[in-house]
Amino acid sequence: MTAVQAPAAARPTPVKRGPLRATARLLRLELRRNAMLWMLPVAIGLFWFTAYRKAVAIPPLWNLRAASMQIGALLAFVCPVVGAAAWMGSRESRRHTTDLVTITARPRWVRQLATWAATTCWATVGYLGCVAALYGVTAQQAAWGGPLWWPAAVAAASLPALSALGFAAGTLIPSRFTPPVATVAAFFVLALSTQLIVGSQSYWQISPVVTGPWDMTPDAGVGTFYPYLPDLPIAQVMFLTGLTIAVLGAVALPGGSGGGWLRRPAAAVTMAGLVAAGTAVALAGTGTMDAHGMIAIPALHDAANDRPLRYTPVCSHTAIPVCLNPAYASYLPTAATALAPVLSEVAGLPGAPVRISQAAATYRQGIGNSVGIGLPGPPISGTPPVFRLLLPSQLPGPTMTTSELAAAVRSSAGFALVASVIGDNAGATRAQQAVTAALSMSAGLPQSSPAAPTRQRPNATVPLPAPVQSAARRFAALPASARHSWLMQHLAALRAGRIALAQLP
Amino acid sequence: MTAGTARKVPAAAPDREARLAWPPRAGMRLLRLYAASRRVPVAIGAIAACAVGLRIALTGHWDSYGALQLPLVFEAGAAAAITITTASPLGEPERVTGRWLPFLRLATTLALTAAAAGALTAAGIGAHLAGGTVDVLRNLAGMTGIGLLCAAALGGRLAWIGPTGYLVVGAYGLYTQWHGPALTTPWIWPARPPHDVGAEMCAALVFTIGIVITSVRGAHDPAGE
Amino acid sequence: MNVEITGLARRFGRTMAVAGVDLQAGPGVFGLLGPNGAGKTSLLRMMATAIRPTSGTLRLLGRDPGSYGPRREIRRRLGYLPQNLGYYPGFSVAEFVEYFALLKEVPAAQVPAVVTVAIDRVELGGEAKTKLRTLSGGMLRRVGVAQAIVNEPELLLLDEPTAGLDPEQRVAFRALLRDLGLRATVVVSTHLVEDVGAACTQVALMDRGKIVFHGTPNDLTARGEGYGTGDAPLERGYSAVLAEARS
Repeated sequence: MTAVQAPAAARPTPVKRGPLRATARLLRLELRRNAMLWMLPVAIGLFWFTAYRKAVAIPPLWNLRAASMQIGALLAFVCPVVGAAAWMGSRESRRHTTDLVTITARPRWVRQLATWAATTCWATVGYLGCVAALYGVTAQQAAWGGPLWWPAAVAAASLPALSALGFAAGTLIPSRFTPPVATVAAFFVLALSTQLIVGSQSYWQISPVVTGPWDMTPDAGVGTFYPYLPDLPIAQVMFLTGLTIAVLGAVALPGGSGGGWLRRPAAAVTMAGLVAAGTAVALAGTGTMDAHGMIAIPALHDAANDRPLRYTPVCSHTAIPVCLNPAYASYLPTAATALAPVLSEVAGLPGAPVRISQAAATYRQGIGNSVGIGLPGPPISGTPPVFRLLLPSQLPGPTMTTSELAAAVRSSAGFALVASVIGDNAGATRAQQAVTAALSMSAGLPQSSPAAPTRQRPNATVPLPAPVQSAARRFAALPASARHSWLMQHLAALRAGRIALAQLP
Repeated sequence: MTAGTARKVPAAAPDREARLAWPPRAGMRLLRLYAASRRVPVAIGAIAACAVGLRIALTGHWDSYGALQLPLVFEAGAAAAITITTASPLGEPERVTGRWLPFLRLATTLALTAAAAGALTAAGIGAHLAGGTVDVLRNLAGMTGIGLLCAAALGGRLAWIGPTGYLVVGAYGLYTQWHGPALTTPWIWPARPPHDVGAEMCAALVFTIGIVITSVRGAHDPAGE
Repeated sequence: MNVEITGLARRFGRTMAVAGVDLQAGPGVFGLLGPNGAGKTSLLRMMATAIRPTSGTLRLLGRDPGSYGPRREIRRRLGYLPQNLGYYPGFSVAEFVEYFALLKEVPAAQVPAVVTVAIDRVELGGEAKTKLRTLSGGMLRRVGVAQAIVNEPELLLLDEPTAGLDPEQRVAFRALLRDLGLRATVVVSTHLVEDVGAACTQVALMDRGKIVFHGTPNDLTARGEGYGTGDAPLERGYSAVLAEARS
């Protein structure tokens, strides 16, 4: 150590202190040495294993992948972020630098804020990379629509909140046990919050892992025909922002964080954060499932979001065109192939639809968390008549293979289509039942058809009487042209109930 | 200190018999001091808190995979608490002492694991603990093993990364049993049925490897700590 | 006077670590001697504003550190090296010193320059980018000194600053102390009486929380004349004063 060789440095001249520049330098130091940087591989690995692989395995629909991403990203990042933040919060105690940093001039809260900010920055960078990867793949695969940003925003807003909670825990209780306890507690609260949701208007809907009506699971039909409602995400972002502000403000309250000039505004900021978070929770408590399967919050709702999205359907070149929302374009070949035999049976018949058109499902809240999903009206309506179709993927259930999807389309929509054309509904005559059964046999539909999305034959699962079955077999044995010709002549009378079973060829 | 006041230090007892003649009280005292240095009482408190938390949570209604994910959360917390006790505050001076250290490490880890298993199992008595006792033992042992391996690699204070990261993996594995395709590898043992031999073997193997490494070598001791 | 202490006391539970100390110090190097548990570190920590006194008055750099505003002003002009230096192993030497420069509110534009000067003054210029975890104990101590002097403090408090330094570095460090003492008040707490003799213009001896001697090193040497305990004149003076205080 040289007193002679090195020039005695003059005391730093009191110039304008440039707080932003100093803060930037402090943040730069913290960014380079933050534990979250080392936790990123863990977070990204968990995201890949739990969220990314699952998301790319489901159909490339933006609403499905965005909702899956929101939930998966949260659950993947919660443990690394909370743990790293708690670790950084306890740094001064672990490294025995408390005295050293306490006696410096800069307020403790500023110092702590820099550490928290660095942790949050790295967490956000990692998260954005994950979102970019998933959304990039989806953009290449999706046939229509664009990225849904609200799910990404909710998950992004969660990171500062998780980081703040972990950091506060580490600062308040700088024990070696604090990071794991905080991590496990955060994971538990996220999981617990979803189990407490019962039906609509639940305050627990504010939980950032909630993307829609709970227990419905991300639904392919939501956010495709109608805009993705931002009501719940707005409330969730408001809650998370308020929570973050409240926690960070609370960190400034203990003595030694700064003078009264800091602690009084900190108290006000904490209160403001709590008010914001509380307001958001109250708003979430007014949220109900709307007819389009999303949570609508009256105070935040924009009526413009109730108008259907405009789109140009993609159609097949079958006897009766099958037209789907372009988001489901990848399903068109399967659906058209599955329905082709049925369409060739009914095409051209009086009252047959001129088009099979995919419809938006309607959603109805049942008891508890049950949700009823179905067509909004009769399967066939309008002039000229159009048959409305709900794809199986618009209904809750596991992801289907191509053959499973084709079978489901054939058995549900195919049967409903035939029944609608023949008029086989409640009060149908035996002749109508026999013709429906015959056309179903000819089209290769399963005889014990499952429930159609809405109106079905009340006695669909009841075996047909023997005479009806016999008549159906006779009718089905006719050449297709003969069947078609007979129906062209007699369909109106058949629908009116004036054809007896014995009159069927 | 002055030359006049220095007491005579008795000569060291060199013979083997004298060294081996340890009264039980000394052994217990050594164990107690070791446990205090590793914050074992706090770990026991954390394990007890996990058991109480599980008991309280079991009063609620949990269905399908939620009922299996719930105990997994508390098992992860207990495993993290156990593995954090491998962190030594004493560093090199302790490591260059005699032969008792590996036994102390082994005894402490085994005792804490047994205590955690007992506490979590007891918390499930009279309540619907999905998966049962076997599930608790398997998951706890496996996650403790993961934590011990983390301790060996990263240090005792960072051992919690393993169990908490695996908690996410295990919870997701359980989720896939209801929303396929199901993950069936025995290395994600929480997602396997309670009496799945493959899963039990995997968990036992990880636990055994972890406890052997940390008993023999101790947790990684970062320079400067 | 940069340091004005009257009747200062500090209690930890039942232990009276500092039991009424009166002290005044201006520019120069002030040595603080005493046996283990005498209260030196507690006194130094109060002067560093790390802990509050239980009673008594304390004025540093003409300000009362009891209020936040003046305390902040003091801390801008303060340097402190504790006995047990904590550090962040992943930081490099330059980063660690820069961190404290920023916390001490050194103007941001001047930070790179003052960091370089501080590191050079402790002869660690070649290790600026070296991670702290790889440094020896003595080098870490020098890093601690660097962070204490980075803001050119008017009040510099050093607790066992030469611990771990080799004899050559100790000589250089004493020269640095003398240079710093030309402009600032430097309080050095140490067990090494030769440090006091070589660098300090004033010395106080503490025992059981009180100051039992205050004067120059020569005065302390004079007190030891004819006293048998000690290998050097200052040591004999030290022993003599303690013996008298305890009798």
